[in-house]
Amino acid sequence: MRIFWVLFKKELRAFFVSPVAYIVLALVMVLSGYSFRAALSVLESAPSEGSIVTWIFQPSWFWLSYFFIFPLLTMRLFAEEKKMGTFETLFTAPVHAWQVVWSKYLAALFVYCVLWVPSYINFEFVDWITAGQVEIPSGGLKGSYIILLAMGMFNLAIGCFASSLTSNQIIAAVISFTFSLMHFLAGLFIMVVGRKVSESFVDIINYFASMEHIRTFTNGLIDTRPLVYYSSLAVLFLALTHQVLEFRRWRP
Amino acid sequence: MTGRAGFNRGPFIFHTHALSPNMIKVQDLTKQYAGRTAVDHVSFEVEPGEIVGFLGPNGAGKSTTMRILSGFMPPTSGRAAVNGYDVYHQSIEVRRSVGYMPEMAPLYTDMRVKEYLRFRAELKGLSGKALRHRVGEVMDLCAVTDVRRRLIGNLSKGYRQRVALADALVHNPPLLILDEPTNGLDPVQIRQVRELLRSLRPAHTILLSTHILQEVEAVCDRVVMIHQGKIRAVDTPDNLTRKLRAASLVQIELQGDGELLTLLETLPGVRKATQDNELDGWRFISLRVEARHDVREALAEMAMIQKWKVRELHRQLPSLEDVFVELAASEPVK
Repeated sequence: MRIFWVLFKKELRAFFVSPVAYIVLALVMVLSGYSFRAALSVLESAPSEGSIVTWIFQPSWFWLSYFFIFPLLTMRLFAEEKKMGTFETLFTAPVHAWQVVWSKYLAALFVYCVLWVPSYINFEFVDWITAGQVEIPSGGLKGSYIILLAMGMFNLAIGCFASSLTSNQIIAAVISFTFSLMHFLAGLFIMVVGRKVSESFVDIINYFASMEHIRTFTNGLIDTRPLVYYSSLAVLFLALTHQVLEFRRWRP
Repeated sequence: MTGRAGFNRGPFIFHTHALSPNMIKVQDLTKQYAGRTAVDHVSFEVEPGEIVGFLGPNGAGKSTTMRILSGFMPPTSGRAAVNGYDVYHQSIEVRRSVGYMPEMAPLYTDMRVKEYLRFRAELKGLSGKALRHRVGEVMDLCAVTDVRRRLIGNLSKGYRQRVALADALVHNPPLLILDEPTNGLDPVQIRQVRELLRSLRPAHTILLSTHILQEVEAVCDRVVMIHQGKIRAVDTPDNLTRKLRAASLVQIELQGDGELLTLLETLPGVRKATQDNELDGWRFISLRVEARHDVREALAEMAMIQKWKVRELHRQLPSLEDVFVELAASEPVK
């Protein structure tokens, strides 16, 4: 456990010493600021069904930049160590591969969580400015952040895995971006084909339809199925990452 | 968390601790990468307190053997034990016993020297006062105290090399495995590092790799010579250099007729005479000469008798390259 903390601190430090964390933070702030402004203007112009929370997290402009976060946060994690040769010094110190995987992953997850703090401040801010006149559904707000965390866990695990596969950060970024996006698009399939095919097919698709998940969660409906889905997939990808790191220790 | 790649769980834990005092014991070690054999049935031992040089040309299998010994990767077959621990099944214990410095001294370039050493010391299990004390000590020992606040990325090669050495030393391991520790240093720094290594001798066993013959002569008690993955010689540097000096090369430029090569080969000590070139009637001939023979005088005499015109006669001591060529042709030591 002590080793884990030492590695975790070092990873976290690497995020904040390099410009990576700040660039991603800026990206997310621009994104959430824009989403926020757009949501306000929608609500301002006409009566609407959705709450401010649904108008922030559901529209397509949110998704546009959302998937850029993960490659940026994760591409460096293992690829850089491999490129610089520090992989060798790291794994000749008395550390277990799982300690390395979890410390890197949780550091990325921590940074990811920090990224959403400004968007939460936006809600507090609007509440303060309008003296509570804009209705902010607290269930929807909670749900939104829970699903963002769950999706983040999943996508960051994919990013970790991609980074462990290569020593080239660009390749790692492309792999993780493609994976995340493909997963998202597979979930969108239902919007293209509609409910015509079959009901059971729709049910299956709904298990990994991120759009659908965020719709239910932003409406304040906290469904455990997506949470289990995302966290178990995250564990699966971390286990794969662990296997990739331990690959050099495999014997025929 | 770990399955078959786990530590400490193998069925064959290889205990040599009680049985033998070897710091390193390598038996029939083989490592294959995708069809290429990097290390081929290598066996050798290192006693505690020894400084052993691993000598060989690039690609001989030195780094691979060192990586296996430091617990980074397992051998394909064969066994290796460090400080009594098996490198595969007791990898973590092995890593605690070894201070490993990889080739090219890879470091986190975005960290400062002291910060890096503190991080490494923490990883290797030091903490609190002991950590602070030891980090200061190794920084002094490796002469990097004056750059302790600088970013590693901005340091010169010589400093980086010494930071890596400080890292290898920081947990005070009984065994140091150093992959080309003086690579990229200037002559003054090389001397300093060699002195440092010698000063570590009673408490630490050192296995270092190099392709520089002088380095081996300067610091090592014993030499393991490796070529194409096989051990070619295990000996003290004195014996080895004597053997190496054995076959020298004599080059001559002369004018003479036909049967000259066979005549030259009749000289005592000449193993083989070959003509390398011919230019304007001058023949360029090299003679391979046996151990402890100097044929130059006899050669001059023969030239006088045969009325050859000689314009150059030169003895060349073999370079390490020649030695390797020769060793490569020879049978590996069992």
